[in-house]
Amino acid sequence: MSPRKKKPAARRAVIVGGARTPFVRAFGDFVKIDTIGLGVAAVRGLLDRTRVPWGELDSIVWGGVILPPTAPNVGREIALDLGLPASVEAMTVTRACASGLQAITLAAAAIERGDADVVIAGGSDSTSNAPVTMPQSLVHKAAPVALSGKSGPRDYLKLLGEISLRNDLIPSKPEIAERSTGQLMGEACEDMAERNQVSREAQDAFALTSHQRAAAAMAAGRFDDEIVPVTNPDGKTVFADQLVRGDTTLEKLGKLRAAFKKGGTLTAGNSSALTDGGAAVLLMSEEKAKELGMQPLAAFKSWSYVGVDPADQLLIGPALAMPGALERAGMTLDQIDVVDMHEAFAAQVLSVLGALESDAFAKERLGRDGAVGRVDPDKLNLHGGSLALGHPFGATGARMVLTMANELGRTDAKTALLGLCAAGGLGAGAVMEAVD
Amino acid sequence: MTDRLVQLAANKRARTVITTLGLPVPLPQTLKRGEGGWSERPLADRAVVVASAANPELTDILARTLPLAGAEPWLVDTPFEPFAAAGEAWGRRPHDGATGPDKPWAIVVDATGVRSPADLRGLYDLLHPRVRGIARSGRIVVLGRPMSAEDVPAVAACRQALDGFVRSVGREVGRKGATANLITVAAGAEERLAPTLRWVLSPRSAYLSGQPLHVSAAVRATSDVAARPLEGKVALVTGAARGIGASIARRMGEEGAQVVVLDRPDDAELASGVARACGGRFLPCDVTSPDAADTITSFLREHYGRVDVVVHNAGVTRDRTLAKMKPERWDLVLDVNLAAVIELTAALDDLLADDGRVVCLSSIAGISGNVGQTNYAASKAGVIGFVRALAPRLAERGIAVNAIAPGFIETRLTDAIPVATREVARRLCNLSQGGLPVDIAEAATFLASPGAHGLSGQVVRVCGGNFVGA
Repeated sequence: MSPRKKKPAARRAVIVGGARTPFVRAFGDFVKIDTIGLGVAAVRGLLDRTRVPWGELDSIVWGGVILPPTAPNVGREIALDLGLPASVEAMTVTRACASGLQAITLAAAAIERGDADVVIAGGSDSTSNAPVTMPQSLVHKAAPVALSGKSGPRDYLKLLGEISLRNDLIPSKPEIAERSTGQLMGEACEDMAERNQVSREAQDAFALTSHQRAAAAMAAGRFDDEIVPVTNPDGKTVFADQLVRGDTTLEKLGKLRAAFKKGGTLTAGNSSALTDGGAAVLLMSEEKAKELGMQPLAAFKSWSYVGVDPADQLLIGPALAMPGALERAGMTLDQIDVVDMHEAFAAQVLSVLGALESDAFAKERLGRDGAVGRVDPDKLNLHGGSLALGHPFGATGARMVLTMANELGRTDAKTALLGLCAAGGLGAGAVMEAVD
Repeated sequence: MTDRLVQLAANKRARTVITTLGLPVPLPQTLKRGEGGWSERPLADRAVVVASAANPELTDILARTLPLAGAEPWLVDTPFEPFAAAGEAWGRRPHDGATGPDKPWAIVVDATGVRSPADLRGLYDLLHPRVRGIARSGRIVVLGRPMSAEDVPAVAACRQALDGFVRSVGREVGRKGATANLITVAAGAEERLAPTLRWVLSPRSAYLSGQPLHVSAAVRATSDVAARPLEGKVALVTGAARGIGASIARRMGEEGAQVVVLDRPDDAELASGVARACGGRFLPCDVTSPDAADTITSFLREHYGRVDVVVHNAGVTRDRTLAKMKPERWDLVLDVNLAAVIELTAALDDLLADDGRVVCLSSIAGISGNVGQTNYAASKAGVIGFVRALAPRLAERGIAVNAIAPGFIETRLTDAIPVATREVARRLCNLSQGGLPVDIAEAATFLASPGAHGLSGQVVRVCGGNFVGA
């Protein structure tokens, strides 16, 4: 959490553009497109929109959460599928829901170190294509027989006798559960809502705003430069985000049942949904942008990643990471023009906002005299967030960077603060600035 | 070594049958104990009732300590404001203790302001309606001020009253595996309460019951560490090949200490195993041999250049009634249990680092005496005197010196006791069962930690609230 002890970067990485797929509810129109396919769609859109010469590309840094077991380096597969020059090397990283931001900050760091000039960074996830794994017990019983050249019919018969229908053949339900605590993320957030006294009404109201702002942004064409239409293998073309419900109301949200706990306050309406999608941005050194005649939109002033005990408040990390990023940028919250926070759950965002406003939190947890400050609701998630747009894990951070880069490049806003929570008790924060 | 009654009581059906029939069989609760190493939040998600008798003086300290340790505070007659601020920071907002909780893990009574017999009524009023609801293996902790002869006699009376009260509560809640203990906090030592309170409230103090602990500012302060308290510390544990010593070595290794496992060369195999398990080094040495001090100091000098924690655990029994005791039996017990402690302490004086810790194993026999143990009791009582006199001498260097007096602990020593005697001895305490070596190891680890800077010159009885002894 201490300010970075290093000389000011000699080079600066700038974001010059980007693209993303529409975000679509899992098991919907993108069910037949895997995470690599979603990445290909986003990067292809980026290449078409920015017209960056392919020969200038150094690498792809990609983020993902559900990585395909047979091809975990999604970034490289994207490059190969697109037919980019073989020299465009790639890596793939995961930092749970902050993977997209992680990929982008890694790319910025590589450029600022002088390791690369032009990098595509982003992330994608297809929750529709999460592998349904065979129970490990079955694998352990069957593999020695199936993989041995000496196995005869008798061995297979014996194996059949050992397999239990209930324990070995029924695959476990895929859920977003913390490995260390076994708790579902929604259950953990339900605890947070209770402990931070976040009411159902406040959560629903927050979700409503998210939907209304996202709907307004869509209607105003705000996402037109960001989203690239994607045609699925069945020939259907998706042009826009599909989860946004601009016409929802507090009444409708209020009628939804608690999703994670009897008598709880988290519902499908105030929690982000399982989503398929991909997003990418193009980063390059400032000199290279000048050389290529590309207009920079934004750059990073700082970033910060933190960890908290997942058994305590799993998703409170941004309350530590956002002040951390501000401190490294040498800024205070009131110098920030726009704030973009990942909305895993309304209760999670409201818990974090409460912590940022709390003097006691600042004193105890940040060692500061007073609160970080109040985030003005009019500056927060201007065009909606994950509650309305959806949350394809690895893509979300890249989606936020893309939207904020456009905000900084095209409006009077000069500075943006990002905050993301992630599984494992991780938190991420970043400060972006406009580039003149 | 297995306690059949604890096993029986853990069987729900058997328990029901025995209680329904009203059979006169004690049903000791299986005690909850700590798992793994210390954590930042030893009380995570546990409901702790904070109740205040007249004019509480520790509210601010409790508000800072409990939510930080992960506890859910429920307040009774306790100022709300300090807890509200801490609750906001840690997401542990205070609840109204008048309405709950159901089965709290712990009840902490702040009785620091008790100055008159009328004030004592507060203890009754607060605990009378709540004592039955305490969780299994739960904790009742009364916080008071130390009694001193300089007090106004009436105030001294009330302060001493807390001691008798807690001992009796301990006897009553022991059936549930719950414990009651008193922590007195001297004026000026308030800031040092947290680590002691955390330990007493945690499952790591499972076998501590009916005991007073006195927190003072006598020793130079060090900083409190919540997790991995012994990181970077060099700990010497004598008699560490088996039993309590081995358990202490393992727990200290787990908390980050570099452990020197000392035992007789005859026990090399066992001791090396312990050393491997705790990532430490085996030092073969008989503490009664003439060159023991040299061997130990040169070993420590060579490998570490210092020692931070010394645990004098090596001990033997050679029981006989005084009339039948041969002089060799007397000599051996006094040599190992007392003379070696005194000599080794003197030899280690230069090597013992500032802010170090010395823990001596005494015994409940040293407090109460025992038939056939004149030699043993003399040596273990001697240890108590040694600790009391050594503590003030080392306080300025930040070194805390304490003794642990184990009660009936399930070890090779107690296994050798005839069945009938052993069966009776096990039940003669609040918890109706023997303790485990790890219970002593937890106490030793706590007393070796930086946070133990509030305790020095004390005898901590880890005896399950044994019926004998002062």
